[in-house]
Amino acid sequence: MPSESTLARQLAAIVGAKHVLERPAETFVYTADGLPGYRKQPTLVVLPGTREEVIQVVQLLASLGVSWVPRGAGTGLSGGALAEGAVLLGLHRLKRIISIDAENRVAVVEPGVVNASLSRATASYGLHYAPDPSSQAACTIGGNVAENAGGPHCLKYGVTMNHVVALTVVLPDGTVTTLGSADGEAGGYDLVGTFVGSEGCFGVALDATVRLTKNPEAIRTLLADFNSIDEAAQAVSAIVATGIVPAALEMMDQATIVAVEASIYAAGYPVDAAAVLLIEIDGLAVGIEPDVSRIDAICRAHGARSVRIARDDVERARLWQGRKKAFGAMGRIAPHLIVQDAVVPRTKLPDVMRRIGRIAEEHGVRVCNVFHAGDGNLHPNIAYNANDGDEATRVHEAMRKIMKLCVDAGGSVTGEHGIGLDKLEYMPLIFSEETLAAMCRLRDVFDPHRRSNPGKVVPMRSCREWAGLPATR
Amino acid sequence: MISAHAPDRRPQARGDSGPQSINDVADAVRTAGHEQTPLRIVGRGTWLDAGQAVAIASNSLELSGLTGITEYVPGDLTLTALAGTTLAEIAEATAAHGQWLPLDPFGDPRGTLGATLATASAGPLGGSIGLPRDVTVGLTFVTGDGEVVRGGGKVVKNVAGFDLVRMTVGAWGTLGVIAEATVRLRARPEVDETVAIALPDERDAVATLLSVVRSASVEPLAAELLSEACAERIGLGRQGILLVRLGGNSTGVLHQRSTLVNLAECVDVPHDVWSRLRQSDPVDVAVVRVSRRPSELARLWSAAMLTPGIDAHASLSRGIVRLRLTSPTPLSAFDAADRRIIEKAPAEWRTAGNAAPPVAISRRLRDAFDPRRILNNGILGEESP
Repeated sequence: MPSESTLARQLAAIVGAKHVLERPAETFVYTADGLPGYRKQPTLVVLPGTREEVIQVVQLLASLGVSWVPRGAGTGLSGGALAEGAVLLGLHRLKRIISIDAENRVAVVEPGVVNASLSRATASYGLHYAPDPSSQAACTIGGNVAENAGGPHCLKYGVTMNHVVALTVVLPDGTVTTLGSADGEAGGYDLVGTFVGSEGCFGVALDATVRLTKNPEAIRTLLADFNSIDEAAQAVSAIVATGIVPAALEMMDQATIVAVEASIYAAGYPVDAAAVLLIEIDGLAVGIEPDVSRIDAICRAHGARSVRIARDDVERARLWQGRKKAFGAMGRIAPHLIVQDAVVPRTKLPDVMRRIGRIAEEHGVRVCNVFHAGDGNLHPNIAYNANDGDEATRVHEAMRKIMKLCVDAGGSVTGEHGIGLDKLEYMPLIFSEETLAAMCRLRDVFDPHRRSNPGKVVPMRSCREWAGLPATR
Repeated sequence: MISAHAPDRRPQARGDSGPQSINDVADAVRTAGHEQTPLRIVGRGTWLDAGQAVAIASNSLELSGLTGITEYVPGDLTLTALAGTTLAEIAEATAAHGQWLPLDPFGDPRGTLGATLATASAGPLGGSIGLPRDVTVGLTFVTGDGEVVRGGGKVVKNVAGFDLVRMTVGAWGTLGVIAEATVRLRARPEVDETVAIALPDERDAVATLLSVVRSASVEPLAAELLSEACAERIGLGRQGILLVRLGGNSTGVLHQRSTLVNLAECVDVPHDVWSRLRQSDPVDVAVVRVSRRPSELARLWSAAMLTPGIDAHASLSRGIVRLRLTSPTPLSAFDAADRRIIEKAPAEWRTAGNAAPPVAISRRLRDAFDPRRILNNGILGEESP
């Protein structure tokens, strides 16, 4: 490996000196992502501005045997963009929307395009990009592809994987290849589906062809408030069972409501409610009202104190702002926030919610639940002070128990945030050694030297066990 | 459990004589590996000629005994079943709860869940809610080394680890024998109706109709063009037809139907046209799918119609024309850049397909998961190692 300054000079020759950052003051912002409590120092930061530069950077790093970590906007919540002893490859300068094909409802974008800006760019065609993570005002499509990002409206429209049609990627060995097809059936293995959600371990997307979704003719947003989390959870199950697929079906508990209402994002949620459901129905204008009435009736039958329907776009936007900014609002409670992510089967929601409450009580920690109830994707968040050693210990112990609880209920340790660095320890809870080894094998197909985002997703132990095997097979 | 057969000959599925458990599958694959005898993976034997024939002599590994729904919690809208379970069995079990698995591949409903996912076979619902890659949330499969791997899980949203599910769905069994799968279900729509619109004779008028329907205020569950011969085969008379399937609440469906009525003359057709269409592939024809981006469907369709009496149907939203052919000649009407995927055809037709040469990654995947080429060797048209 060359000395850092030699490497910096070589990288500068590709991207220009001002796009290679070495000094601690410059690289500081890149030592963390959206996961609190972690800082990792990259050896240096390189910020290519064009696709050609990305390819050359990866080729250079590959030829030198240097590891790197790709990064979009750094909003990820699992530590996936943390780089320790590796080059951080920032892709946010590649922010061109290359083309919009309104007739076929696809767009080709560079990886640094911000999620929300694609929907803005396609609005005049009556189209939008459906996956809408809460960080959509900042996060990039490239990061979304790496994480297989979700969001509230994924209940009806599907997650990132369902919206990527084709990818041009530079593999960790520096070769450029196209996966999938936007121009007829691709045939062969589903390499797009395999690449999406690989958390930066399979290479770097140079462009993504993504599906655009027709804007719905009509949208109705309902807010139902309940005296207990249990009743709200039962209402969720009943709504799911109707066959109506809401565009979104979100739950917030009282701790979240209180935090939101005390913040600048106050949305008019009733602060005395134990839980609210934020339900959105969309689709064709005719035919929407019967679905709205049915869902209204279901909420009331399950004990809703009131069901409010947003009168106009302003009220609707306000109801959503409270939900989307809930994590920010929690900053009022304590300096640090763990945004947790887990999934349970939907029928287990009431029971799991009760047990989470009990775990929080036992450990003296404050859990705020704000989550995608419609697909069982929980976000039990804990606001705390990371500098208080005792509190931090209790928080982490409670989190481990919550994760175990979700796994025991038949669920998963992440629905949309990814494994990254944060959840490596939980992988053996849900996958056998053989399955973890298979994941290492899959990784090795794309990145045999494990240079792209090393040490993430699959515990190294599983990969080491696998590592000795292939040659003898 | 394993019977020798010559390449290209159809083995018969033999009920419960094959593996009865996932471990049995693993044992069979390991044994085959030790003996260096490739396996042809067989579900119920209903679709053996769907897909390219295995060019390399193989023993058949029959999964028709690996059957049964292992877990079904209607409130979760998920179902787990062993690979040999038929789509018909799943349809029956879920219908009892007003639910369905929206996979409607062309072929016999006695076809298996495993085969449907392995071949990523989609039918008319594929344009809305029925793609295997989208409905599969978990898979247990046996690699070419005989290892049992479980990718994904049982919940509908899950990004834990690398995606072994998407890797295996549509891999034609070449990366692993699918042994069990968890799929997401949907509640049946309150109303589910189908109307037929007669296609105009002129090419341009067809193109106009397609673009008008595509931009109309309708959200069909399926929209499929049928050629005269195809329509006649399923009892709709000898005329070109656009079939549109509407689902939802009664108010919405009524409105969508009146929207269509205002665009063109619509006729109600019995709901079973879809199952008739699915099962209408004649024996002994080749099936080739031709596709481009959906906006080019009108051109593809008119190219297909240059052959008088052609038996074809096409998905409006996916832009795929599915041709049922007795000779490769009609394929010459398409552009070289139109994607042609062979679903089934005699070996000598192989050049009729133009699937892109597999990227290096595909070969490495195969090397990683089936290094000895035990599984369905040759089914992707590949050479033996």
